[in-house]
Amino acid sequence: MGLLTKLMAILGFNRREVNVLVVGLNNSGKSTLVNQLKPDEQRATEIVPTVGFNVEKFNNKNVGFTAFDMAGQGRYRELWEHHYKDCQGIIFVVDSSDGLRLVVARDELEALLDHQHIRSKRHLPILVFANKMDVRGALSAVQVSASLGLEKISNKPWHICASNAMTGEGLQEGIEWLTNQIRQSVMLEENS
Amino acid sequence: MIGFKRDSKKDEEDGGGNPFQNLEKTTVLQEARTFNETPVNPRKCTQILTKILYILNQGEILGTVEATDTFFAMTKLFQSHDVILRRMVYLGIKELAPIAKDLFIVTSSLTTDMTGRENLYRAAAIRALCSITDGNTLQQSIERYMKQAIVDRNAAVSSAALVSSLHMTRFAGEVVKRWVNEAQEAINTDSIMVQYHALGVLYHIRKTDRLAVTKLVAKLTKSTMKSPYALCMLIRITCRLIEEDDVGTNSKLFEFVQSCLRHKSEMVIYEAAHAIVNMKKTGARELAPAVSVLQLFCSSSKPTLRFAAVRTLNKVAMTHPAAVTACNLDLESLITDANRSVATLAITTLLKTGAESSVDRLMKQISSFVSEISDEFKIVVVKAIRALCLKFPRKHSVLMNFLSAMLRDEGGLEYKASIADTIITIIEENPEAKETGLAHLCEFIEDCEHTSLAVRILHLLGKEGPRTKQPSRYIRFIYNRVILENAPVRAAAVSALAQFGALCADLLPNVKVLLARCQMDTDDEVRDRATYYSVILNCNDAVLNNRFIVENTHLSLPTLEKSLHQYTMQPSETPFDARTVPVAAISPSEEARLAAAEEISTKPKTAIATMTREETYAEKLRNIPQLAALGSPFHSSPAVDLTESETEYLVKCVKHVYERHLVFQFICTNTLNDQLLENVHVHLDPLPEGFVVAANIPCQRLPYGEAQSCFTVLTFPDVLAISVGSFGAVMKFSTKDCDPATGLPDSDDSYDDEYMLEDLDVSVADQMQKVAKANFAASWDEAGDENELEDVFALTSMQTLDEAVKNIIQFLGMQPCERSDRVQEGKSSHTLLLSGVFRGNHDVLVRAKLALSEGVTMQLAVRCSDPEVSELVTNSVG
Repeated sequence: MGLLTKLMAILGFNRREVNVLVVGLNNSGKSTLVNQLKPDEQRATEIVPTVGFNVEKFNNKNVGFTAFDMAGQGRYRELWEHHYKDCQGIIFVVDSSDGLRLVVARDELEALLDHQHIRSKRHLPILVFANKMDVRGALSAVQVSASLGLEKISNKPWHICASNAMTGEGLQEGIEWLTNQIRQSVMLEENS
Repeated sequence: MIGFKRDSKKDEEDGGGNPFQNLEKTTVLQEARTFNETPVNPRKCTQILTKILYILNQGEILGTVEATDTFFAMTKLFQSHDVILRRMVYLGIKELAPIAKDLFIVTSSLTTDMTGRENLYRAAAIRALCSITDGNTLQQSIERYMKQAIVDRNAAVSSAALVSSLHMTRFAGEVVKRWVNEAQEAINTDSIMVQYHALGVLYHIRKTDRLAVTKLVAKLTKSTMKSPYALCMLIRITCRLIEEDDVGTNSKLFEFVQSCLRHKSEMVIYEAAHAIVNMKKTGARELAPAVSVLQLFCSSSKPTLRFAAVRTLNKVAMTHPAAVTACNLDLESLITDANRSVATLAITTLLKTGAESSVDRLMKQISSFVSEISDEFKIVVVKAIRALCLKFPRKHSVLMNFLSAMLRDEGGLEYKASIADTIITIIEENPEAKETGLAHLCEFIEDCEHTSLAVRILHLLGKEGPRTKQPSRYIRFIYNRVILENAPVRAAAVSALAQFGALCADLLPNVKVLLARCQMDTDDEVRDRATYYSVILNCNDAVLNNRFIVENTHLSLPTLEKSLHQYTMQPSETPFDARTVPVAAISPSEEARLAAAEEISTKPKTAIATMTREETYAEKLRNIPQLAALGSPFHSSPAVDLTESETEYLVKCVKHVYERHLVFQFICTNTLNDQLLENVHVHLDPLPEGFVVAANIPCQRLPYGEAQSCFTVLTFPDVLAISVGSFGAVMKFSTKDCDPATGLPDSDDSYDDEYMLEDLDVSVADQMQKVAKANFAASWDEAGDENELEDVFALTSMQTLDEAVKNIIQFLGMQPCERSDRVQEGKSSHTLLLSGVFRGNHDVLVRAKLALSEGVTMQLAVRCSDPEVSELVTNSVG
């Protein structure tokens, strides 16, 4: 980690391209969240329920993210698995104001972690956004983490942060964590 | 270095072929894994996509799993913003759409693209999107975007949306209907393409609603549309409206079409002219401007325009020859056109419209290029000449010479057959041309490699030759065949010789000698025929001659075959009786041929059914055990409707006449999908005197939509005079309600019901079979005047002889002989000769002398072996 590396980073030589998968139940705010991450001039003004998936791109700290924003509606969820194979990170979005469906979210998360393509990737970082934190009566990040059973994930790095996708609050923190994790996991992969 | 150069040169030569020649499905699909790499390599992926599209288009079939996997791999490519790659992805999606599953996963990505800023993506994205949607997803997610796209400012986007919605009407017509307003707006754009497509969509949405179409057309005809394509389409729609509404030529719509003749664009002008020409009700006045426009096109420098114009004129010439005569000069200049298709069409048009005086000149011009065109076009020319011959009988010598010259040229069987056909038609139509025509044909068979044609011509010579002035000159030609040709031709020649022997007494000794020589032939059939004919001719009996040589037997061949087969299956002492076999009806093919001769068309003639109506029915009747006992039906009438065409039950009746029995076959169709009919039969009441119902065969089950038959068997009364009459009929059945979807009855409850049918008539025609007599006079004399009945009738309702002749033929159901069904124009009297066989194998001959004097007066003479039949026939006329 010397001068050279820093110089390279500044000049954008070791710029990386990664694919991340954005999943979660319907109406949890995935598309809004991804929209918020994009540069100002590319943002859409109106967000409609996604059918299938959307591809969006954004940058963070010299890492180019390609986000596959998957549809969250029940009948489209089985399509997620087609994208598991080649993603370097997963963003799981939870509507923290919707206590009722947290169990459903937990089921989906468990099914995701249990999938063969996910299990085999030991360093795949999982970022959970406890979205809609501004809504009155929303659960806190700790409560969400407990009800999703995140502490049981032992073989993968994970992180939860409360967010508000409408204003962008909390997003930057989460994405920065993800960027670091991906850098590390890619480096690990290259070393091994 | 030099070596390397040489190598690269060699590579270039080798690589000239198809780079995708040796692709294998599995390898290509394996390569498709590259799609998953990050970052995407657009160049490589584009190439792989091309390969996938290539193998798909080569007919390689992907399984659902393979296709779905490839498709999902392809979805990863949406992350690249490479324009070429993205457009390939759209194509790939469209190709995989019918095979792969879960296609809707790309819906959002495509909608983003179609609403996005990149114009290059938008149109293609719309097309891809529409190929993957079904009615369901369409409604909820993309309808809004489609509406926007239709009214988009970009012409490509708008057109893509319109065309896609046209495709989508197939599965989501209701949704597309809601886009009418947008399509309406799109029609007002400036873009030529969009206007055309918008009109297409609008018309498609509204085409079931007549009123809406009328409004649409009325509105659009007032505004001037910019797009010539849209105008062409509008002209077509307008024409359809005019035809459907049956409005006269004074209407606004027609005015619009006429105004289009003055449009700037050639396409629109042609379309308008074509439309006017093809309308059913156009008169000479309306045609004139259209034809003059076409005339202008004839001298255009563009070959397509010339071709279109000549082709249309050719069609008009059939319906309105007078209108086309104006263009004759221009057409004549087109004969020398470099384009052979244009030239041929011009010639045939001229032949149709040409005046008598120009025939000679035309023939000269045709002969200059006839050797250069292909056989099919030659056939077209021959057909045109045939029509010309019928039109100008006096010109037959010129035309005949030309035809014989064409006969001598090289050509296929079809070509030669069409020429021979033409000559034969001319001979039949025009007695003056007979001698020369026969001479040409004789010359032709001297050197004819087509057996079937030679046989036909020999048969014709046998029929016509003896009645010419100098029959002896044909004998030599015919006997030459016996010496030189193969067996089938020799056999035909022997038959033809015998005809001469039977009809020309002075030639008889010579013919006998020739036939005796033929008995030494190597072929069985030839020897048999020769022996048969010489035995008959040696008897010197005119009646025998007439019955066994001049007249042909008219037994129905399929039935004869069946009967003989049955006879050989069951050994019996009694010899086979040919009289049990019904006589064959004169097939309508001959009349069809004559009809075809009158109108010239390049269309192939529809195949003539090999079995006549009777034979097909007989086949079915034989399969019903109760009816099989009656033998073969003598005559079956065409089906008659006993109900209106739009009632609950449709019933048709076919009358089968046996020697002593009458069978009514009722073909019933149930058009109510919630009813199951059982035990369907027809009750006949009142019965005419003398008829007895012998059996009733009901139809057990009549489900919805199927046509089933039930039968009623009656015996004819013994007295012939009362064997015609009218029957009342009621259909009786029991009904069960059933489920419209499955057709299964709801319950076992049924109730009886009946349904009134129209009355049935049995006439003389039903009991008569048409039989042609070649030599009516001989048969008439043979029948003798013992059983002749004569009567005079006044047919006051008839105005012309032609009408009277047609009515008499139809009423009696007999065959006109010796072409007496054609009345020569301008004559006030005519003799109609009819022959037929009455049920029970009684030959019936009728001679009707007609005279025109305030209505038609008819002197009817009937000769028959059975006096009762003669009486019945005469009585039925009165």
